[in-house]
Amino acid sequence: MFDIRKRRWIAAAAITAVGALALSGCSGGSGAGAEKTFDPNEKITLNLTWWGNDDRAAKYGEMVDAFEDKYPNITVDTSFMDYPAYWEKRKTEAAGGGLPDVMQFDWTYVSEFGQNGLLAPLDDFYGDEIDVSSIDENVLSAGEVDGKHVAIPVGTNSWALFQNDRLLGELGVDAYPGGGTWDDYNAYLAEVKKAGDGKVWGGTDYTGRIQFFELWLRQQGKSLFDEDNKPAFTKDDLAEFLNMGEKIRSEGLVVPQKKVEEVKPKSGFGSLLATSEASWDNFGAGYMADSGEKSLSLVAPPALPGAEKDLYLKPAMLIAIGAKTKHPEAAAMLTDFLTTTEKSGEVFGASRGIPVTKAASATLQGADADVVKYEESIAGRIGPAPVPPVGYGSLEQKFLDLGNSIGLGAISVDDFVDQFFNEMDVILN
Amino acid sequence: MTTTTTGTGMAVPPPMTGPVTSQRRHPEGRRRVKRGTVVTAIWFVALTAMTLLVLYPLVWVLLASFKPSSEFGLSYGMLAENPTIDNYVKVLEGIGGVPLWRFLVNSLFVAVMSVIGITLSSSMAAYAFARIKFKASGLFFSLMIGTLLLPVHVVLIPQYIIYNKLGLIDTYVPLLLGKFLAAEAFFVFLMVQFIKGLPRDMDEAAKIDGAGHPRVFFSITLPLIKPALVTSSIFAFIWSWNDFLAPLLYLSSPTNYTLPMALRLYNDQSSVSDYGATVAVSMVALLPVLIFFLIFQRFLIQGVATQGLKG
Amino acid sequence: MVIGSITSRDVAKSPASAPRPVSDARRAGEPAPDRNTQRKRLSRREAFAGYGFLLPWMLGFFGLTAIPMVYSLYLAFTDYNLFTAPEWIGIDNFTRMLRDQTLHQSIQITLTYVLVGTPIKLAAALGVALLLNFRDKGSGFFRSAFYAPSLIGASVAIAIVWRALFRESGAVDDGLSFLGIHLGSWIANPSLVLPMMIILGVWQFGAPMVIFLAGLKQVPTELYEAASMDGAGTWRRFVNVTIPMLSPVIFFNLLLEIVHAFQIFGSAYIISNGTGGPAGMTNFYTVYLYKRGFSDLQMGYAAAMAWLLVVVVGVIAFILFKSQKSWVHYGGDNR
Repeated sequence: MFDIRKRRWIAAAAITAVGALALSGCSGGSGAGAEKTFDPNEKITLNLTWWGNDDRAAKYGEMVDAFEDKYPNITVDTSFMDYPAYWEKRKTEAAGGGLPDVMQFDWTYVSEFGQNGLLAPLDDFYGDEIDVSSIDENVLSAGEVDGKHVAIPVGTNSWALFQNDRLLGELGVDAYPGGGTWDDYNAYLAEVKKAGDGKVWGGTDYTGRIQFFELWLRQQGKSLFDEDNKPAFTKDDLAEFLNMGEKIRSEGLVVPQKKVEEVKPKSGFGSLLATSEASWDNFGAGYMADSGEKSLSLVAPPALPGAEKDLYLKPAMLIAIGAKTKHPEAAAMLTDFLTTTEKSGEVFGASRGIPVTKAASATLQGADADVVKYEESIAGRIGPAPVPPVGYGSLEQKFLDLGNSIGLGAISVDDFVDQFFNEMDVILN
Repeated sequence: MTTTTTGTGMAVPPPMTGPVTSQRRHPEGRRRVKRGTVVTAIWFVALTAMTLLVLYPLVWVLLASFKPSSEFGLSYGMLAENPTIDNYVKVLEGIGGVPLWRFLVNSLFVAVMSVIGITLSSSMAAYAFARIKFKASGLFFSLMIGTLLLPVHVVLIPQYIIYNKLGLIDTYVPLLLGKFLAAEAFFVFLMVQFIKGLPRDMDEAAKIDGAGHPRVFFSITLPLIKPALVTSSIFAFIWSWNDFLAPLLYLSSPTNYTLPMALRLYNDQSSVSDYGATVAVSMVALLPVLIFFLIFQRFLIQGVATQGLKG
Repeated sequence: MVIGSITSRDVAKSPASAPRPVSDARRAGEPAPDRNTQRKRLSRREAFAGYGFLLPWMLGFFGLTAIPMVYSLYLAFTDYNLFTAPEWIGIDNFTRMLRDQTLHQSIQITLTYVLVGTPIKLAAALGVALLLNFRDKGSGFFRSAFYAPSLIGASVAIAIVWRALFRESGAVDDGLSFLGIHLGSWIANPSLVLPMMIILGVWQFGAPMVIFLAGLKQVPTELYEAASMDGAGTWRRFVNVTIPMLSPVIFFNLLLEIVHAFQIFGSAYIISNGTGGPAGMTNFYTVYLYKRGFSDLQMGYAAAMAWLLVVVVGVIAFILFKSQKSWVHYGGDNR
């Protein structure tokens, strides 16, 4: 530690010598929760930021107006952008020492930012500014890093199989009932393939998604990573899983990857090439917009015989506070307003996942209510949620990438396994 | 001495005789004129064919902007099956309470300031490199070329730290300061090349008349490199207009956003992407730069007054 | 970082073949020994003017550019995850590059892109500029049409249209099939993705074209008149007047297009949605660098990659600058 600091000092000195400004970057320490001094008359400005489309911007706008009405002394400045840009900006800010007060957060980044002390611990606010009494302890713990809660989940989602009933009706094929074995699902794929006649398939290649691999591992009582964030599976595990894909691809049971490439940025399911596809259960709105369908149904993904607790509820989105905020109490109040209040349930619906509080999720209607029903239906299969290691997002992307490459015939299963293990080596160390 | 203001009729294989300008038609007569017409016709046809090829993708985008979002990836045709102007209606509504014109005005402001900053500062620096002999010139020139070679992504964070320490986040200063300080080597180097291409005779003559560098710069060099200035203005405007990275890092309030930032907000891969609006907004963003180019490209054809160049 | 001694003075000395105008010769010529003092005073005045004109640039360079650059060079020898202080690891990042197979593939496709794409793009730009310069009347429309593709930024719209054009039975496939060439889908064929990216790059040839046009406009027409009077035909005027007079601009475009091609980022990032796929065929050097730096938080490694690129392109730039003597013609001598 001393060593690092010294080097940093030398670096800073060297740079000062070159020019004018010392570039010390980075990491923060304390700030939040040291002393509680919220003065209702003090003029406070908070920064609030999120990623999302125009629709979400309108929803946050409504929330901010309501918050400002409730606390006239607080002004909330908002900022929003698309997902990749959002994280590029947050990382730059984190490096440069300027994270916003309140941020929408993604599960895959909680450890990354939390472990480096960039997020304020929220436990100190519990019972005062933040009321977590209505949030399930298991859900809440998803925002935990090193024993402290640094982010509050606002909604959950789970892995699910979407189906297009209208398309299935046209083909005269029965919908997949959900659950069952992988062989059952493959039989369904074969049936749709036959009826689809080279235009419609039963699904897209599921072996290209790390979520399916994880599911398959969990069905055998294994997991992707162990507590030390090391891979908990072997090369043989991965190869065996990928060989399932070889089978369905060679038999033409899934949409050829070639077709999928052509319809990007949409997916095979969103562009009506497939009658089913797995994704997070709250992505229905996106699928509907892509495909123009009025309704889609949700069923449970297939499993290995005897599997249990293979699925899990993942926080779809969280809210966190920057460690260096000047107004920790006010930021905590805004966080509470955006996460646990009835108003937040009303305004956001299921657009940030199924709301974590019962009161909010009970008010959902239409497609949102279907998602609630789905999550209730799989309750028996829900196990503990894993903690994604730092760099999980990159690995997820790499897996998808390699899956596409296999589908295009550019690499073999062995290449996939080698390259993925190499990448894990690079990312996790 | 002639003042040639048009640079017509040069360089290309077809046998145009000499620098034929419209004012000075050749006296030889009809055969030449006829041959000229044929050549012109070929010229016209060739360019039209190439234009069609080059414009096809843009026409595709234009027509696609009338497709409902759900048609993308479903129907492959260029024409919408159910054409709609909803995409444009939605785009014109703005985002998150910020009207579209606000983004346009912001972009316009940044682009115009960039043009001013870049042409001023870069031409000065270029003059120094091209026309003034001093010790550090060679070293500085190498350093400047060096700045072209480093990928921008590795300097983003240190640059952000500087501007953050100066308290300039969410202002336009980080977007513009570099432009007024000739930090974009592309433009300096471009102008260096043009200035070096100029004959020195006029500089020398002016110097013998007692003119110093400032006067030579303003009254001789600047007017003569007008094509380079126009070119730089065009690039400065368009690149600033399309720049996404700097606005992303340095602007926070949506009311300060430039158009490219707003453009991306119709695409949210984590929930709903509106491809119709995405394509429509890229057309809306294209229009102002197209108009800008149409206006400015006219200056490109007005050649330079080369009066006195032959001394 | 300092690229040898490619100096502007080298450049000023370069017109090898052509006779200098008298005044120029006088200026560069050796002054008589007894004028030494005067010369010193003169050169001090020159230096004063030089630094004066260069002041904004120097402020910009030392204030805004140099510090981040030097810092990134330092980072190249560190392990830096953005959030904690960089840790000195010597040349580990560079030795890691030797083993990084993804990097090797990335270098390979980037080099192909540069070597194939740049000449085609420059030839297209120069050819069209010459055609446009042939006649002013009516060329305004064409000029704008050819530049239009370069106006559209790195927008998702580009990704959408490019996929539509290069899919199976898309416009490109249909067009080529009509000519008897059946290639099928480009976008889904890993070996055709790179050619597709090259076409996308060439399609946006507007910038070098406009620069060529501006250069052509600056060629004094008298030179053509003089050449015609000497009985030079069109071809000889092209070779003896146009090319030499345009050579500084050709040099500029050549260097800049090479530099830009090495740094191709936006279009590849948009087309592949940031993945560098399919099968890594759009994982160009800078795309990979960005992924390592920002997605994987390995900014030290990214900085090392960046500086390797600086060295490689720097060497190429150095060679190009040195080659100027034999083909780039400055100073506008009137032959």
